[in-house]
Amino acid sequence: MKRLLPLAALLAGCSGLQNLNIGGYTGSSMGQRLQNVDVTKVAKGVNQIRKGFSDISESEEYYIGRAVSAQVLAKYKPLNDPGLNAYAQKVAQAVAAASDRPSTFKGYHVQILDSAEINAFAAPGGFIFVTRGMLKLVKSEDELAGVLAHEVAHIAKKHGLKTIQTARLTSAFTILGSEAAKSYTPQQIGQLTSAFEGAIEDVVNKLVVNGYSRDKEYEADKFGAQYAKDAHYDPAALKTFLTRMEKAAGAGVGGMFKTHPAAAKRVSELGSLSPASGYKKSSERGRRFSEAVQL
Amino acid sequence: MRPRLLLAAAALLTAAAAAATTITVLVQQAPLRKRAQSYAPVVKTASLGDKFESSGLESGFYKTESGYIHASAVTARKVSLGSSDSVGSAATAEEMTLAGKGFNAQVEKSYADKNGSANFSAVNAMERRSVSDSALLEFLSAGGLIPGGAK
Repeated sequence: MKRLLPLAALLAGCSGLQNLNIGGYTGSSMGQRLQNVDVTKVAKGVNQIRKGFSDISESEEYYIGRAVSAQVLAKYKPLNDPGLNAYAQKVAQAVAAASDRPSTFKGYHVQILDSAEINAFAAPGGFIFVTRGMLKLVKSEDELAGVLAHEVAHIAKKHGLKTIQTARLTSAFTILGSEAAKSYTPQQIGQLTSAFEGAIEDVVNKLVVNGYSRDKEYEADKFGAQYAKDAHYDPAALKTFLTRMEKAAGAGVGGMFKTHPAAAKRVSELGSLSPASGYKKSSERGRRFSEAVQL
Repeated sequence: MRPRLLLAAAALLTAAAAAATTITVLVQQAPLRKRAQSYAPVVKTASLGDKFESSGLESGFYKTESGYIHASAVTARKVSLGSSDSVGSAATAEEMTLAGKGFNAQVEKSYADKNGSANFSAVNAMERRSVSDSALLEFLSAGGLIPGGAK
């Protein structure tokens, strides 16, 4: 099997990085800072390379996620409903905060899509999309938390990054990994962009066209239910929603029914779920859900 | 007796210092919290490249003198950006993040130029939507999602 020559190698190969603008990374005065350092040192050592998707850096994941999202938003029109988007954003941040990956490079962001299709997507780095059709099936904030937590789990477990074909990266890294230019030349940028395009295509195809493997969907359900539970939502609400979605599948709608395992099987895989000890029902959650989700 | 106690105390302090781990922030911003809990009050905000000494992990959070920071926001691996000992070793993912290299804004611009239909303006609008820690805390508290209430 071919060894992956990962992204970092290609970048490490560009040994002179003095043209970088790291001054944009501003922050507080606490702690030791890494500003004004000689970043040319970063690129030394082209003989060693990163080994796989797990070595894709936080910032690289973010830029992959942005481009995947730009493609999703080219296919699906964003819903212009500030109240609903803000509400979904809060619920997503609530479950993300309780996850094992509350911090991504620039945080989690949610966009409702103006589509009757029943679907939801998660792009690497923290970008989450839920269609209007999907939201119509959701009947409570706890169910919405379960749906969003499932998407947070795809991001936390880096399912999107895992879909990037090794071969695509290998060729680019081979070309670019050995040069010691002071900054990216136009040719290198062209080659990097080709590698980037391939990576984006792989992730978009998996998200929108083919769907993740069953194992990854079950894993996202399992961890999503746990995140919802740890955020003190009712984790069983995800099962309630999936059961309702199964009935909608009988109506012949497309979307995620083409790309996800049968809802009944997902419910079965989830097994028994009970809320956290501090869980309590809340009329406020019901009120604000009804106020925000009017589709 | 007293000198022995002092020596013992010094040995303990040395051992504690030796056990401390240097952690480096790898995300744009991350909260340092009062306790090792996702909804504990924020005491400070750390930024990309900030370094802290941590005395250990508690419930997924690194404990520092400035507060608790979640492990997903930092690396405990050695980041040798700018140090002489980085020469001859590969740049790691962490160092690439701090240097802003790899798939970055420059590559994104080139990609956007080639893919005119990609809707980056909608992505930018999406990114502007975020909820502050205090607003999220209020949302959680109002919804009965913080056992015992926010403290």
